[in-house]
Amino acid sequence: MLRVDNLSVKILKNIRLSLDAGEHLCILGANGSGKTTLSRAICGLIPSDAVWVDAQPVPSLSPRERSETFHFVPAKLDLYDEYLSVRDYLGLNAPAQEAAINAVLETLGISHLRESRCAKLSSGESTLLMVAGAMLRRARYTLFDEPTANLDAKNSIKLYRLLTSSPLFEHRIVITHDLNLAYALGAKILYLEDGEERFFGECEAFFAPENLQRCFGGFVTRAGEHFMVNYNEAR
Amino acid sequence: MKHVSLFLSLALLCLAPLFGEISLDYRLIFESGSSDHTLFWDIRLPRVLTAFFTGSVLALAGLVFQSVFRNPLTTPFTLGVASGATLGTAVAIVFLGGIAIYQYLLGFAGAIVSVAILFILSRSLKSTQTHTLLLAGIAMSFFYSAALMVLFYLSDFTQSYSIVRFTMGSLGVFGMEYVIPVMAVSLLFVALVRSYRHDLKLLLTSFEFAYLGGIDPGRTAMALLLISSAAVAVCVSVTGPIGFVGLIIPHIIQMIYRRSADTLIMPTFFYGGVFLVFCDLIARNLGTASDIPIGVITSFIGGPFFIYIILKRKRTHG
Repeated sequence: MLRVDNLSVKILKNIRLSLDAGEHLCILGANGSGKTTLSRAICGLIPSDAVWVDAQPVPSLSPRERSETFHFVPAKLDLYDEYLSVRDYLGLNAPAQEAAINAVLETLGISHLRESRCAKLSSGESTLLMVAGAMLRRARYTLFDEPTANLDAKNSIKLYRLLTSSPLFEHRIVITHDLNLAYALGAKILYLEDGEERFFGECEAFFAPENLQRCFGGFVTRAGEHFMVNYNEAR
Repeated sequence: MKHVSLFLSLALLCLAPLFGEISLDYRLIFESGSSDHTLFWDIRLPRVLTAFFTGSVLALAGLVFQSVFRNPLTTPFTLGVASGATLGTAVAIVFLGGIAIYQYLLGFAGAIVSVAILFILSRSLKSTQTHTLLLAGIAMSFFYSAALMVLFYLSDFTQSYSIVRFTMGSLGVFGMEYVIPVMAVSLLFVALVRSYRHDLKLLLTSFEFAYLGGIDPGRTAMALLLISSAAVAVCVSVTGPIGFVGLIIPHIIQMIYRRSADTLIMPTFFYGGVFLVFCDLIARNLGTASDIPIGVITSFIGGPFFIYIILKRKRTHG
């Protein structure tokens, strides 16, 4: 189980949350509200003793335990060496598992990119590549930072299906701005505002109209199972 | 292309000891007691071997520094590590009577102190600020140059001359006893770097990916930098600082092979050695009264290339 106990790093103030075994999380909030900071703190990239996994503080995990526990899929693929190929990248997630690598590429429909250089991929293709890496890694907690931001509708649905059905993601923590995705995922919701926790609880409670009004003002309207951003509100 | 260059390189390595200012009588090489025998076994061959193994260490250390600092312009030279070694050696020449073992030890200490300073600096910088580190390296080089000037001021004529000759770099060793340490260090170095191949590949991705990929990036970087600096320090204390090999060889190799740096350890090692043997061959055969210092040749070739790299970077990175 994952527990964040009174975490205050950078702009985050007194964040508390806990996820039991098998529970997932969706982190929502405005730009700059601390979503990425929180997810980086959870997986130890910003070391903090306020984050615990199974009664052990995250900074005390060994590098190997850490890699088995957490995997972070950033919003943007960042690689220094421009000659790293897709195969090289996936090989780092699953050393010497050619068959597994090919299977994952097949699942995501990017087999044709196997020998390409990562630096040449489009942003959508990079996202798929990072998801492929996460599937190979099979960490206990996989964190996705805005995974659908660069994907077309078809690939967004493919990713949604993978997130919800794949046994490879034991616990998933998804940062997103896409309320429809958050609703469909049905996981616990954490809503951040200026580094503070504004809501933490079940999905249905978050998407209740009065709570939406409280968090988003008039900018978001619920229409049945769908959520719409009211661009007209700005007029 | 790769096979041709491999063949040409091997031919160059085999033929290099046979050419020089004094032409050899090839039949007398294996006849002990003849001057040709001495020339070949005590002067030419040690020199070519020193050139090869020094070049290979400098090139591979350049590859490691560029990968660890994630910046194509970092080498032990641009970061002041080699200047530190030079200063240490100069201290030994002036204050400790130029005894070889003290030169090695102080050269080594100078390099390690420099890398320690760099590492402390890099810890307080974000990974994206490596250009700041380059500036720090340049500042350190200036500091070392100033200290070297002080040493010149304090030294007598002979000591000044040996420092000057040393800073120009020289592969003029006599006998095999200088070759053995350089060769041993060089082979140990490449073996160690190869054992870090997987970790090196992780460092070539991003800090986050490496950190969650099962290594401690800071510790791995430190280990690789220490190994490289130690190897460079040993070579520099024998041959003097020879610039630009570490900068240009990894870039040329990556342009030819078009693969990630972790897979280029052996080619970089090999062609670094070949490049220095080639430069030394030019230095020895220009027909001047004495050899042109090797550092001059590598810098004449390396300087323009350095500028080319900077221009090319500007074009691709906006």
